[in-house]
Amino acid sequence: MRLLYQILWKDHSRAHLLGAFLGTLAGFVLLLAGIQFYMDIKGILSDNRDLLDPEYIVINKKVNIGQTLGLSRVGFKPDEIEEIRGQPFADQVAPFISNEFPVSAYTENERFPDFFTDLFFEAIPDEFIDVKSEEWQWDLEKGTIPVIIPQDYLNLYNFGFAPSQGLPQIPKGIISMVNFKLRLQGQVRGNYDDYQGRIVGFSNRVNSIMVPLDFLEWANQKYGYFKKSDPAQLILVSKNPTDPSIIRFLEERGYDTIREKLKSSRMNIILKFILSFLVIVAAIIIGLAFLVFLLSLQLMISRSSEKIRRLNKLGFHYREISRPYILLLLLLMAGITALSLLFTSLLAGQLHHRAETWSMDVSSSLHGIIYGTALGLILLISIANVGAILISTKKLCK
Amino acid sequence: MTIRFEKMIPLPMLEQDTSGSEVWEAETLLLHQEKRYVVEAASGRGKTSLLSIIYGIRSDYRGKVFLDDRDLSTFTLKDWSLLRKEKLSFIFQGLELFDDLTGLENIRLKNNLTGYHKDERILEMAQLLGVDSFLKRKAGILSFGQQQRMAIIRALCQPFDFLLADECFSHMDHENSLRAYKLILEECEIRGAGLILTSLNETGLPKADLNLKI
Repeated sequence: MRLLYQILWKDHSRAHLLGAFLGTLAGFVLLLAGIQFYMDIKGILSDNRDLLDPEYIVINKKVNIGQTLGLSRVGFKPDEIEEIRGQPFADQVAPFISNEFPVSAYTENERFPDFFTDLFFEAIPDEFIDVKSEEWQWDLEKGTIPVIIPQDYLNLYNFGFAPSQGLPQIPKGIISMVNFKLRLQGQVRGNYDDYQGRIVGFSNRVNSIMVPLDFLEWANQKYGYFKKSDPAQLILVSKNPTDPSIIRFLEERGYDTIREKLKSSRMNIILKFILSFLVIVAAIIIGLAFLVFLLSLQLMISRSSEKIRRLNKLGFHYREISRPYILLLLLLMAGITALSLLFTSLLAGQLHHRAETWSMDVSSSLHGIIYGTALGLILLISIANVGAILISTKKLCK
Repeated sequence: MTIRFEKMIPLPMLEQDTSGSEVWEAETLLLHQEKRYVVEAASGRGKTSLLSIIYGIRSDYRGKVFLDDRDLSTFTLKDWSLLRKEKLSFIFQGLELFDDLTGLENIRLKNNLTGYHKDERILEMAQLLGVDSFLKRKAGILSFGQQQRMAIIRALCQPFDFLLADECFSHMDHENSLRAYKLILEECEIRGAGLILTSLNETGLPKADLNLKI
């Protein structure tokens, strides 16, 4: 029905529609580019960790000369732990439990040089540990004690000690294969047992030699004779690690933590803030442009109201009358989708190019979520507009 | 199709003296498809109201109107648009042409909707009414009489059971009126359709089946 389009398209306001088109396009590019960069940078900065993940913070008391001289204790007293538990930033708190008996490790293996060393263990509940391994289980029958050591220890050896001593570097997989014995010593001389030890993982979170909590509780029961000491370290989970009150609290109490971690999470948060600001601005622009769209089409319809009434009198159904408006809307929407995806992928290509010179891995193609977001939004805007078109043409018909 | 009024009167007519009217005073008024009705009266007697109510573009009336025993008030927008494509045709007093379209485009707008006539027949009807040379001109620049003939041709481009013609010869001379009337009667005959024609004054047209006093 070419004539129908000829009649109804005549009353469009080119300026309004162009404004709405450009506005929506700008909003879309801003939004899509924001999401694209968020996805890229999230991958780079957070070390595969989600920005929204809660932060695990290990805290300890600062060591001072009093402790060196044995005048004051380094552990957290129960009321101090309770105080930390009561802080709004602390969602979960768990103390580290230590061994209350002597532990030593040694090897009896022809392929490795023998060594013997005194050792310590600490344990926290499993949910605080970042290593997930099926071997991380204590089973008295099997008698193998799984151990997690800090990633830093391995790095220290591989990148510090080994090269300087002319020793070979050892990959993670090989270390896990090394068998060694662990000797747990009771109070009475001669009361000791040897167990098989095995390194099952490397932790980035906890700077200690970890064994399963149930094992350590059992072993403390069986061999322990040291005077029970207060836990020297606490691990706490904070869903809001950037809360400045964390650092303030730690400073006031003279507690210590690895600042670097908090710093990086703060950077994440700043980034998140900037990107969410971008997304909010984009959303506002899209919202306004959507309104302009809605209003321009409504204006177009009300300018044509006489013609629409006339067409209705001639026997046109309001759905037939709506068709030219809906087609115009869909053409504009298709244009916005295509152009915004094009511009966003051009921007992504630019960023990829730049990032390569900083040897950062930024994808040059658009993330799947970009297409999803664009289509979803376009669909939403289209459906709302089509609804409004149908309603207002229907109103004019009898 | 039959059209039946039951004590129907447009609300504005309530304030007027309608005594002697065969339409507004009737308990029941039945209009038959095979008949041709002429309603002659001075303006303000409700001629256009009558046609508009039948056509569904006015609903400010008291009483009831039935098309084939179906109450008009139960018709949906879809029913109305079907009715206007297949059962009822209206030659509007205000013509309702699109000024920006040519005469032919105005006619085609309707004919494309119904697919009723071939282009040749449209040209033929235009020739009969003496407006074939104006078909390519914008309707807005035609004289009212020429526009009236375009509107008549447009109204004939569809099937119908009743043709509602509202003062459709008002700006034509007697000769042209007779030709247009003849064409209308022919087209009604082909469809076996009824005609309700209103006029301000004595038309001097060949006698209709029934003169309704309004």
